[in-house]
Parts: sequence; structure tokens; C-alpha cells
Amino acid sequence: MPRFHFDVHENGQFFRDEDGQDFVNVDVARKEAVLTGTSIARDAFVAGSADHVVVDVRKDEHAPCLKVSITLDVEEQADGYVAKAE
Amino acid sequence: MPSDAIRAALVRRLRISSAITDEDIAEIEALPISVRQFPAETAVVRDGERATDCCLIADGFCARSKTIASGKRQILSLHIPGEIPDLMSLFLHMMDHDLSTLTPATLGFISHETLQKLHRRRPFVAELFWRDTLIDSAMFREWIVNVGQRPAPARLAHVMIELRERLRIIGQLEGSSFEMPLTQEQVGEALGITSVHANRVIKQLREEGIVELHRGRVTVLDERKFLELADFDGRYLHQSPTL
Repeated sequence: MPRFHFDVHENGQFFRDEDGQDFVNVDVARKEAVLTGTSIARDAFVAGSADHVVVDVRKDEHAPCLKVSITLDVEEQADGYVAKAE
Repeated sequence: MPSDAIRAALVRRLRISSAITDEDIAEIEALPISVRQFPAETAVVRDGERATDCCLIADGFCARSKTIASGKRQILSLHIPGEIPDLMSLFLHMMDHDLSTLTPATLGFISHETLQKLHRRRPFVAELFWRDTLIDSAMFREWIVNVGQRPAPARLAHVMIELRERLRIIGQLEGSSFEMPLTQEQVGEALGITSVHANRVIKQLREEGIVELHRGRVTVLDERKFLELADFDGRYLHQSPTL
């Protein structure tokens, strides 16, 4: 089974995955990367510590074969109604 | 391991958490137990199997878990010496989850028949074991709240503090560090996140100077921040007869 590494970029910060994990193919590795990215993004977006999370998937020491990119985009709408706090 | 040592953690725990009498302790100490050694990461009893005895952990760590169709595993609880993690198998005949070792473990098996006889002879012991399984379900409730509601760093801190409080009761807490023999992957399975996310959380807690998990040992770096992050209230462990 090929070994995949999942390097994470959170805004400017970079976390290199030294250990890696075995997956039967790149499809299964893609699912793992999406799970990892969305779960890191969920915490980071809510905490406000990042608004962009990228997971680079690479086989061994090769260049990344997949890039999973997740961006938070919240827009305030000028004409929207927000009840004033009492 | 001498037979007293097999039951030592259980007896210690019962003495602290319940108003057990010396007579009942003597009954528990006289229970016939067959002792077996298990290697790390080995199934003790599997989902779907019929158990004929209950397993008392004398030494080592175990976990209960459930694996779904996709192969993903959720760790449901961690278990330490003095606990009987499959006590419910006395009444629920077919296992609905897995019990396996995390580390090499010494396990004592007590037959269902022996336990049933003891319960009929000593109703107070039956009540104690009933209470034990109720505390077990209180811990599961807390586990659900933890995994369902807290962000991952707080989830990890909460699991760590719960384990520390339970190790304290059986006298296995020395100094400022304690054993939590989980791999990065197993931390992920306990918290409901991927192994890579678990690694990220472990690194983050170390970099923020809160707590370090290294080679299966937890070292608290800042007790105040650790408690604050975990949002831990130990009432659900009911570690005294009045709680």
C-alpha cells in the first residue's frame, strides 16, 4: 500500500506530516485529506484563528499530488436586517 | 502476579467510591479468577461474540470501541486497572462493541456463574456492581458531550483530565505526569478526528505550553490553562459514596 503524507497549511502556519499513513489508493487518501481539512477548518474558523486551510497530499517525498483547499467566506450584507440587542 | 495484586486496584477503588464492608471485600478477594496475559492492541472480546465471563483489568490499559462499515473506528472509553469494562455482559449476552487492549495487559476473568452466585449471596455487592455500570454510563454521556460539542483541543484535554482523576483513585499517579498510552491514530479515534488532525492538536497544546503528550505519557505544563481548556467537572465520575 502506498504511503501518503498530509501537510497542513493554516493561514501562514505550516505543519509537515512526517509519519504519513498507508491508504490503498489516492481516492481513499483524498477522503482522508478532506476529512482532515474540514475538521481543522471547523475549529480554526469558529475560533477565528484562520480563514484558509490547505491540505497537501504527497506520496513519500514526492511533490504533492493533491491540494485540498478550504476557505471561509462570510459577507456582511449592507441592506440586511439585524435586530438590535436589547 | 500474586492473586491479591490481581484484585488490588478493584478493592482500592471500591473502598474509595463506595461504603463497602470488610466482609464484602473478603468475598471479592475470594472470587476465583483465571489470569491471562494479553499483548498490546489485541481483542479481548469482539462485537457479536457471546461472553461467558467478565474481565477485570489487573494491569495495563484497555479500550472499548465500535467499527462502522467503512472501517472507521470510534474509541468509546479508556479503561485502567481495577475496572471491569465488560461487566454489562453479565446481563447483555451478546457484545455490541469491541473490548481490546491498548498496552500489554494482565486480565483476570471471572465467570458469569460465579458473579451471579456472589450477587445472590451478597446483595450489597450486586448493588455496588450496578452502581459501577451506572457510573460507566455517566462516563459515556460525558464522552458524547465532549466529542459532540467541544473543539478538538478541549476534547483532548478533557479525556486527559478524566484519565488522570481515575488513575489518582487507584494510586497510579506519580508526580506531574501520567500514562495515556494512545498512538496519534488512537487519539484521533477517541476524539472523532483524523490522525493528522490529532497530531496537529497535540502539537498545538505543546506549543501553547499547556500539556505535552509524548510516547504515551502526559505531562502538564500549565495546570491552570489545562483545567480551563478542558472545562472539566468531575461530578459525573461519582468518586465518593456520597456523590
